[in-house]
Amino acid sequence: MSSDGMRWRRRGAAAAIVAASLALMASGCSSSGSGSSAKGSTGAAAASGDKSSTVTISLTSDGCEPKPATVPAGAVEFEVTNSGAGSVSEAELRTSDKAHILGEQENLTPGLSGGFSLTVQPGTYTVNCPGASQPDWTFTVTGKATGPSWESNPQLVTAVRGYAGYVKQNTADLVRHTQTFCQAIDAKDMNQARVLYPQARVYYERIEPVAEVWGSLDTSIDGRWENPVTVKSQFTGFHRLEQMLWQDNSRSGAPAMCAGLVTNERQLLTLVSKAQYNPLEMAAGATDLINEAGTAKISGEEERYSNTDLPVFAANVEASMKVVTLLQPYLRGKDAGVVPLIQQRGAAVGNLMAHFKATPGYDQTGYVEYTTVTKSDRRQLSTAVNALAEAMSKMSAQVSG
Amino acid sequence: MASRDGGPVMDPARVEPEQAPAGPSRRRLLTGAGLFGAGAVAGGLTGYFTSPATEPSGAGDTSFGQQTIPFYGAHQAGIITPAQDRLAFGAMNVVSGTSRADLRDLLRVWTGAAARMAAGQLVGEESDPSAPPADTGEAVGSPVSRLTVTIGYGPGLFDDRFGLAARKPAALTDLPPLPNENLDPDYTGGDLCVQACADNPLVAFHAVRNLARIGMGVVAHNWMELGFGRTSTTSTAQATPRNLLGFKDGTRNIKAEQTELLNQHVWVGQETDQPWLRGGSYLVTRKIRMFVENWDRDYLQDQENVIGRAKVSGAPLSGGAEFSTPDFAKAGGDGQPAIPADSHIRLASPEHNGGIHILRRGYSFTDGIDPQAGTLLGGLFFIAFMKNPSQFVKLQTALADDALNEYIHHTGSATFAVPPGLRPGQHYGDALFT
Repeated sequence: MSSDGMRWRRRGAAAAIVAASLALMASGCSSSGSGSSAKGSTGAAAASGDKSSTVTISLTSDGCEPKPATVPAGAVEFEVTNSGAGSVSEAELRTSDKAHILGEQENLTPGLSGGFSLTVQPGTYTVNCPGASQPDWTFTVTGKATGPSWESNPQLVTAVRGYAGYVKQNTADLVRHTQTFCQAIDAKDMNQARVLYPQARVYYERIEPVAEVWGSLDTSIDGRWENPVTVKSQFTGFHRLEQMLWQDNSRSGAPAMCAGLVTNERQLLTLVSKAQYNPLEMAAGATDLINEAGTAKISGEEERYSNTDLPVFAANVEASMKVVTLLQPYLRGKDAGVVPLIQQRGAAVGNLMAHFKATPGYDQTGYVEYTTVTKSDRRQLSTAVNALAEAMSKMSAQVSG
Repeated sequence: MASRDGGPVMDPARVEPEQAPAGPSRRRLLTGAGLFGAGAVAGGLTGYFTSPATEPSGAGDTSFGQQTIPFYGAHQAGIITPAQDRLAFGAMNVVSGTSRADLRDLLRVWTGAAARMAAGQLVGEESDPSAPPADTGEAVGSPVSRLTVTIGYGPGLFDDRFGLAARKPAALTDLPPLPNENLDPDYTGGDLCVQACADNPLVAFHAVRNLARIGMGVVAHNWMELGFGRTSTTSTAQATPRNLLGFKDGTRNIKAEQTELLNQHVWVGQETDQPWLRGGSYLVTRKIRMFVENWDRDYLQDQENVIGRAKVSGAPLSGGAEFSTPDFAKAGGDGQPAIPADSHIRLASPEHNGGIHILRRGYSFTDGIDPQAGTLLGGLFFIAFMKNPSQFVKLQTALADDALNEYIHHTGSATFAVPPGLRPGQHYGDALFT
């Protein structure tokens, strides 16, 4: 995954992976180079597309290997020569799915040479020469896209700034609510701790796409028994405390565990405060949040000891709809259909969720206990959530520039 | 050898593969009257499968369907055999009350049945209208379709039930806890396994069904899986197939032609503590659910970064074509690795794991729709063969940081010791029980 800082990624241990070591996504969009949450503006400083590159392609019966196979974004001269291959007489640059020809040189009989020029955006392409024993060769364009980036679009800049504020605020609230939760544990008030647990959780569930970037930190805060591995000593954070409160019914070790959780959350707050975001990863992160709701919450595995899945499910949906709200002014100008579809499907999820609201609800969550939600209700909810995620996934191409 | 019911006693050494030893009543029940008897064989080898030897190939058809894979050989078939398109895999437990002799007899009977089916024959001829048919019959008329039957022994077989504890290979244990797994006991473990592969789903299924039927009362299915598309290439003659993620899978797999790599990484050799296993291998299965709905809505470039390859061509993101060696050191234009640090092919590569290889032979599977979520219950039924299960443990541990973990989850697991191949006249279990 990219280090663009936004992508929700449910890593395993990821202890070895610090965000700074992640590859910057070689994305075919102008936004990818705009900066990474973990590395500041490294991406933006990478290969600009100012000077042109030359790529030579020699047609042989074996193929049409582009040399070099990787160039920075910008103007590229493709020089094609036929070095005597009888059956191979053309080279094309195609999109990686080969559906579109971007440039080509045809009818090069042996001994002839030719070529074409293109301005290419970052991404992976295919050099294709029909008739060769290996007709397809990968061609990669790296670096920052030429042309206007999202940073020159005021609507997108506003959306990204709004999201940065949203994440920071929720992370600060996470720390605050977790501290209150820990105070109840310290005071041996286990009933109160059970009430405060889901209240703190919802803030994490809103920012999870961001927090996931720091994989090991995320695992220490939000890891489940099986991530990274079913070893008790590595099981820490919210869900270990959840297990203590609901399953073990024991506070032995809980105060220290909770203090460690707060420490990790403070570290997260420092990191998100410095993070930089971009619209593509914002959009993809919103989809991933809905995926997460549809996968881990519907199954009940996320909050398996407390059965407080409904409030965190709602937090996932809420945070992804926040992204839609932020991107909406821009999206309406791009494709008028995307936002209404998302809103319609978001409302459908909301209507279903309304059935499970209760006052004060299970452990004062405002919702019923998840175990009381029947299989057919879960399936209905899951179906609605999948439809919502599918609609959301249409945003990424719209905001990618 | 005494017979509990006074039936005929046969010298096991003289039993032909097609024949079952008669013997105690339990075993007689097991085999069915005359199921593998000489009479049946004499009655004709005219199998219900279309046999290449006896059947004229219609319209010059020399396709796969007619092709048989030899049952006998130094190694069991179905390991380096060019991967067939379809799989049926049964994991079975030995039922309580089974004796060592019962188990050994079953393995002998299975040998004959497997050899016959691999040759395109039914497990037994129909003879008595008043008896249940010997063969279940669903594969009648289907070409043999390169059927292979491969058996393995799970760790549980070597407990105190059958006096095999001293024969247990030290390397044959249940796997330790591994990253990104949440194993369902209903799809984990087994005393014995039967892997049937063929280019026809019915033929593969038929093999497992009939071996399970023959074994009823001695063994019972623990779980079963059907694979509907191979996800690996085990020969340079094969094109690389795609898994349910839509990516080519197994590009860098060990191939049957790579004898040295096979000896280094797949076949059990002199290093084992159990001579009976030499020439065999270890089989690890992992039932890997893919959250395909989530995957399908990830944008293309991200999918490619997760895997480390281009989706259509299969080329590594470091450039070249499908079979170009990935250049993990190569930087993209931004100074970061062209093949991302947490990409699947990087973390699973021999370069990242001390040179370790395994022979993958997995299949796409589906169990239908998750009744609770309404999403696809399916993914990869991972099968791999290796010299020691520790190879898989090392690789899977390295995959703790795999970006792909967001989209997959291991839900089943099993490990088996796969004995070496047989010569005509030998039976499964001969070396183990001697």
